[in-house]
Amino acid sequence: MALYIVEADCISCGDCEPVCPTMSITEGSIVFKIDKKTCTECDGDFDIPQCVKVCPVDNCILPLEA
Amino acid sequence: MNSQAALSRELALRIGLAARALPDTDAKRLLSVLTACVGLPITEEKIVGINLKNLKTAVAGEFLDVDEPLLTHALSILKSDLHTHTDVQERQAYVDGDMPGSVRIACASNDGINVDGHFGSCSQFMIYQVSADEARLIDICGTDSPDGLEVDDKNVFRAELIQDCQILYIASVGGPAAAKIVKLGIHPMKLPGIESIADIIDRLQTVIAGTPPPWLAKVMGIDATDRFRFEREATG
Repeated sequence: MALYIVEADCISCGDCEPVCPTMSITEGSIVFKIDKKTCTECDGDFDIPQCVKVCPVDNCILPLEA
Repeated sequence: MNSQAALSRELALRIGLAARALPDTDAKRLLSVLTACVGLPITEEKIVGINLKNLKTAVAGEFLDVDEPLLTHALSILKSDLHTHTDVQERQAYVDGDMPGSVRIACASNDGINVDGHFGSCSQFMIYQVSADEARLIDICGTDSPDGLEVDDKNVFRAELIQDCQILYIASVGGPAAAKIVKLGIHPMKLPGIESIADIIDRLQTVIAGTPPPWLAKVMGIDATDRFRFEREATG
């Protein structure tokens, strides 16, 4: 279980990076990206994923298909 | 008398914007200098009379170490309503499809030259169609609501005026208004200070000519397969 950032929609604002409790978000060569190995969807830390909460673009951060 | 109570809304906004154009200056600091220059109440008529020298020497040289071009710029913002340049600019013809690989931008402006407007109060939106090597002023969109028409939500009304634009440049915008802009599919860009529309177009053209970020490529209608090309180069 992990989230991913839709590359075509990310505006590289960087708001999501500091709110990630597992520090899974980094700035990639094009847009920001989430490390699927460490992303927990904030399970155990928060009720809802913090990156989704702060992201200004709708449907930019989505769950990876299992 | 309270100095702020005597200010017109428009003038108060211009003082705020002018203060932002100056380093380490908030509206309060600029207001105290202006008060020293012309006395209370501050009015449009008195502002016109202020020159660079007044501004520099007021309050024992409060602004003495500020660069002159910045002060001149701040002064022009303060006086902007009285020097409207809009008539000078001519609209250019544009038909959809004229400029492939272009993007339509709206600039919130009061003087028609700079992006100096607050979204909710600017007098006009300057609409440009911009491609890598061309920029056309295709419309100047006034923001007065038509006579007799009751507008429910001023910000929605304004956003709908520029609904066919992909990007909106503003000097300032409130949070709820920004959300309404985004909802209509327009990408708001709040600038850190006042900038000329020409500079913004210049910068945007550099971006379009280079590798536009994916979200921009998307709104410009560049095909996802073409986008992939430079994504791969960038990651490579």
